[in-house]
Amino acid sequence: MSENGLVDAARRRFNALALAPSLIVLFMIAGLPAIYLVVTSLTPFQLVNPGSSTDFSSPLRNYRLLPDDPRFVNSLWVQAKLSFWGVLFQVLLGMLLALLLHTQSRIVEFARTFFLIPMVLPPIVVAVIWKLIYTPDISPLYYAASLLNVAMPSLTSSVDFALTAIIVADTWEWLPFTFLMVLAALQTIPDEFSEAALVDGASRLQIFYYVTLPFIAPVLVISGMFRLIDSVKAFPLIFLLTGGGPGSVTEVTNYYAYLLAFDFNEIGYSSSVTVVLLLLVVAVSFGVVWMGRRREAMA
Amino acid sequence: MSGGSGPIRHSASWGRLAAIGVTLIVLLSPFLWLLQMSFKSNDLILQFPPPLIFTPTLQNYTSLWQGAFPASFVNSLMSASFSTALALVLGVPAAYALSRWAGRGKHALGFAILVTRMAPPIAFTIPFFLFYRWIGLLDTVTGLVLVYTSFNLPLVIWMMQPFFDTVPSSLEEAALVDGAPIRVIFLEIVLPMVAPGIAATAILCFLYAWNDFFFALILTRTNARTAPVAVVNFMNYEGWEWGKIAAGGSLVMAPVLIFSLAVRRYLVSGLTAGAVKG
Repeated sequence: MSENGLVDAARRRFNALALAPSLIVLFMIAGLPAIYLVVTSLTPFQLVNPGSSTDFSSPLRNYRLLPDDPRFVNSLWVQAKLSFWGVLFQVLLGMLLALLLHTQSRIVEFARTFFLIPMVLPPIVVAVIWKLIYTPDISPLYYAASLLNVAMPSLTSSVDFALTAIIVADTWEWLPFTFLMVLAALQTIPDEFSEAALVDGASRLQIFYYVTLPFIAPVLVISGMFRLIDSVKAFPLIFLLTGGGPGSVTEVTNYYAYLLAFDFNEIGYSSSVTVVLLLLVVAVSFGVVWMGRRREAMA
Repeated sequence: MSGGSGPIRHSASWGRLAAIGVTLIVLLSPFLWLLQMSFKSNDLILQFPPPLIFTPTLQNYTSLWQGAFPASFVNSLMSASFSTALALVLGVPAAYALSRWAGRGKHALGFAILVTRMAPPIAFTIPFFLFYRWIGLLDTVTGLVLVYTSFNLPLVIWMMQPFFDTVPSSLEEAALVDGAPIRVIFLEIVLPMVAPGIAATAILCFLYAWNDFFFALILTRTNARTAPVAVVNFMNYEGWEWGKIAAGGSLVMAPVLIFSLAVRRYLVSGLTAGAVKG
C-alpha cells in the first residue's frame, strides 16, 4: 500500500472512532426517546393503569380521537393565531429596528448589544417580567392607565386580551433575533447598489423598496420560519401568565399535550398529540433547510 | 423609516440617535422594572407613584440566601456544567471528523441535528419521564445532565464544524508526512487552533441548559430543583413575595447576561444551527 493509502486508512479509522461515541449517545438520548414516543402514542397508556402501556389492541385509537377532540382542534387554532401574529410583528419590528440601527457610529454599535437583552434572558425570567407588568397591584402599566382614567381589565384573565398579552410578551422576547439577522443581511449590501440608485435620482423610499427589500427578503423569510418553529415552544410564558386560560383561550397544542400527560395522566393520548406536533415542526424545518440550501446555491 | 437603510454610510444624525435612545429605553423598561424591584422592600413595591429615588435594600437577596434558593442555584450550575462538559468531550472530535469527511451522509446528518434542536421539548419529556421513573433518575442532577446533553450534543457538533473547516489541512498533512498519528495531530495542532470556538460553544451550551425550565419542571421535584423552577415556586407556594421573586429572577439572569455578551457574535449561529451557515 502506498503512503497515501496508509494515511487515508488511518484517517478513516480515526474518523470512525471520533464519530461513533456521539452517534451512539445521540441515538440513545434522542433516537430511542423519539421511537418510544411513537410507540406510546399507539397505546391507551395512563399512569394509573400500568398494564395499558403495552396494550396495542387498537393502535390508531388515539389518532382517530384527535379530529373530534374540540380541545385539540382549538389548540391548533390558538397556536396558529399565536404564531401568525407573533412572527409577523417580530419580523416587521425587527426589520424596522435593524434599519434604524444600520449606521456607522461607534455609539450605535455599542448600543446594539443592549438591544439583544430580551432574547438572551432565561425564558422563565421573561415570563416573570411580564407577570409583573400584567399584575394590576404592582404594575406601572396599570398605574399609567389609572392616571389616564382608563379602567384596564386584568389582561391575562380576559377572554379578549389574554392571547394578545402573550403575543406582546413573545414579540418582546424574540424581536432581537429577527433584528440581529436582518442587520447582518443589511451589512452585506454593497454600497454601490444604493449609490447608483441615488445618482439616478431615486428617493430613499424607492431605494428601500427596489434595492434594500429584495436584498433582505430571503432573510426576512428565513428568520420568520425559525421563529415559526420556535413559537411552538412558547411554554414558560403561557405557564406563568395564563395557564392556558381563561378557559382554553391561550391553550396551544404544546401546552395541551403537557396538561394531558402531566395533569390528566393520559400519557398515550398526549404522545399522539405530540407526534402530530413533531410532524408539523419537521415539515417546517424541512422547508427551512431547503430554502437555506437554495440561498447558498444562489450566493 | 424610509431612510433606514442609508445608502451612503454617513455617521448617524442626531435625530436618529435620539430615536435609537428612546427605542432602547422603551424596549428595556420591562427588564429594568424587574431589576429595580429586586432592591425594594415589599411596602415600596406596592407604592404608587413609584418613587424615583429610594434607598435600595438587599433584604430580598439576603432572605433568598437563607432559604432553599442557593441549593437550587447549585443544581443549575452542576447540571449545566456537566452537560456542557459531556457534550464537548463527545461532540468536538465528532465535529472534527465531520469537517474532514466529504461523505454523502453529511446533509442527512445536518437535518437530523436540526430536528433534534427544533423538536418541542415535550417530545423528549414524555419518554424521559417514563424512563427515569422506571430506573429512578427522576429528581436527580444526573437525569438533567442526560436530558440537556440531548440538545447540547447536536449543538456542539454543528457549531464546531465551521471552526475546524478554517484550519488549513496543509498543516495536518505536513505533520502526517512526519509520521505523527492523527490522534496526536488533532490534540496538539488542531485543537489549540479552535480554542476560541470551543469557548464560544461551551458558553452557548451552558446557557441553553441554564435557561431550561420545562425539563426541570417535570423531571425534578425537590432534590434536583433548578433555579428557574425555584423562582416559579416562590409564586405558587410562598405567597406573592414580589421582592423575592424579582431578586430570584435577577440572580437567574445574571450569569446569562454576562456570558451572552461575551458570545454575542455566535448567538445567531447557535439558534439557527442546522439550516444556515452561521
